[in-house]
Amino acid sequence: MTRRIKPFAGFGLGLRRTHFEDFLSGNVPVDFVEVISENYMVEGGRMLRVLDEVREKYPVIIHGVSMSIGSAGGLDAEYLTKLKQLERRVDPLWVSDHLCWTRTSAHNSHDLLPLPLTNEALDIVCANIDRAQDALGRPMLFENPSSYVTFPQDELSEWAFLSEMTRRTGCYLLLDVNNIFVSARNHGFSEHEYLSGLPLDRVRQIHLAGHTIGETADDIIIDTHDHDVSDEVWALYAKACGMLQEAGVPVATMIERDGNIPPLPELLSELDRARDIAAEAMEPA
Amino acid sequence: MMSLADMQKTFMGNVLDEAAAMPEGWGNRHAAGLQVYRGNYRTALVEALRDTFLKTEEWAGEGPFKQAAINHVIAHSSSSWTIDDVGAGFDETCRAFFSASPEVAELAWLEWTMLRAFSSPDTDPLTLDQFGLITSEYGDAQWLGMKIELVPDLAGGLVRHDLHAMWRAMDDDNAPRPAAIKGEERGVLVWREEERPTFELVSCEEVAVVDAVREGQSYGDICAGLAGAGASPEQAQDAAMRAGGILGRWVQNGFVTALRTTQA
Repeated sequence: MTRRIKPFAGFGLGLRRTHFEDFLSGNVPVDFVEVISENYMVEGGRMLRVLDEVREKYPVIIHGVSMSIGSAGGLDAEYLTKLKQLERRVDPLWVSDHLCWTRTSAHNSHDLLPLPLTNEALDIVCANIDRAQDALGRPMLFENPSSYVTFPQDELSEWAFLSEMTRRTGCYLLLDVNNIFVSARNHGFSEHEYLSGLPLDRVRQIHLAGHTIGETADDIIIDTHDHDVSDEVWALYAKACGMLQEAGVPVATMIERDGNIPPLPELLSELDRARDIAAEAMEPA
Repeated sequence: MMSLADMQKTFMGNVLDEAAAMPEGWGNRHAAGLQVYRGNYRTALVEALRDTFLKTEEWAGEGPFKQAAINHVIAHSSSSWTIDDVGAGFDETCRAFFSASPEVAELAWLEWTMLRAFSSPDTDPLTLDQFGLITSEYGDAQWLGMKIELVPDLAGGLVRHDLHAMWRAMDDDNAPRPAAIKGEERGVLVWREEERPTFELVSCEEVAVVDAVREGQSYGDICAGLAGAGASPEQAQDAAMRAGGILGRWVQNGFVTALRTTQA
């Protein structure tokens, strides 16, 4: 089994139903498409037909939201089997999920819940990643989450947790710049310290997305994916691009949009902005 | 220090129930954060129900539907990895919540069954020609012992309202909404036509035949069941004709994937 994921430089979008026909035409100017794994972990019908046809036209990344890599009770065997079936069908650039947990043995939250950053949680996450990567026969990417609480028993910073996780398991990182911004504002840490503390050579992909201010607590920022990327997040993206450039790591960048999805040209225009910022980072100072 | 397993149990309890005790040492800031997760959970599940039960919501009205959806989410916390499964049992929730409008539960059952058909396995049903070729050499014994295999997405149920008229009216903005008049019980079959789930109102008898086939009954047993105990030769002949008519329609609609023969 290869334990290395080759870098892939390019700009892409998430495949959403609203834009199926555009992507089926094969004329969308993107370098790759990312799909939500769970939407295609089905037995038949239109979703798989669309995926197969899109795959013929674009490289595809499969990105999950339900692996629950931080569950103390371990991973769901049926879920892994279905994910493996999808991975075989698609032959994706890579498979990713989130550093979070979504379920206990009795309930599923269908949300990316935060982990306490403890050594016990790190051991459990690493054991679960080993199992997932063995089941898939390939290393995975894990995305830094956005979070709305921290735990009094935390023993590590999030960047130290991610660093140790990649070192122990050989997994890679999906750097969500908006999530860094959201969590930094919610918990008061430095975005620069966060980026500087990561093993940047393990980053293979960047997510960009919009956020919103919470309705239930004025000062909590929520990762909603239903707005344009904010200026602050663009600025952080520029900083991340510069640091990745210095580290000599080409990455794939994409815009995530899950609510208030605009017409495709608007998303492509945002993606052009990402291209411009990344190109600027490539220029010699 | 609380173990990760215990912390996750406590945290999940707080997501599902705002009255649950917060983890030890948590203050107002944590309570605000938990409120975000609690809101996310409820919103995600209610939105998933809205996506699945578009017609049910349209018929019941946005406000009442939302209330039923919230009731469902509270009473049936999700345990499946796929959020689509939140719709399981929503027809029963609607039966209790809209007890004065029983057609709402029937619509919910129909939409749930159509969702299952949407992503069911792709199959290769027998064509009329293939069916004719296979059965052309059958003798009586083979016909009576024949077992039918159906496409996995075909499902049947019993309803008392004209779902077809209700559905059509909701598809056409200019059409008046038909009264939901409770009538005689009738059958409904749901299946996927190419990639699109569809349904048809049929006889209750036809739904019973679907159930019998799924139970593995032979064609002979099915004919005997339709005739009833102590049937006269004429009644038996009539039942065989009805069974033949049903089978013919099924082959025409692409419901039959294979025939297995074991002599009766």
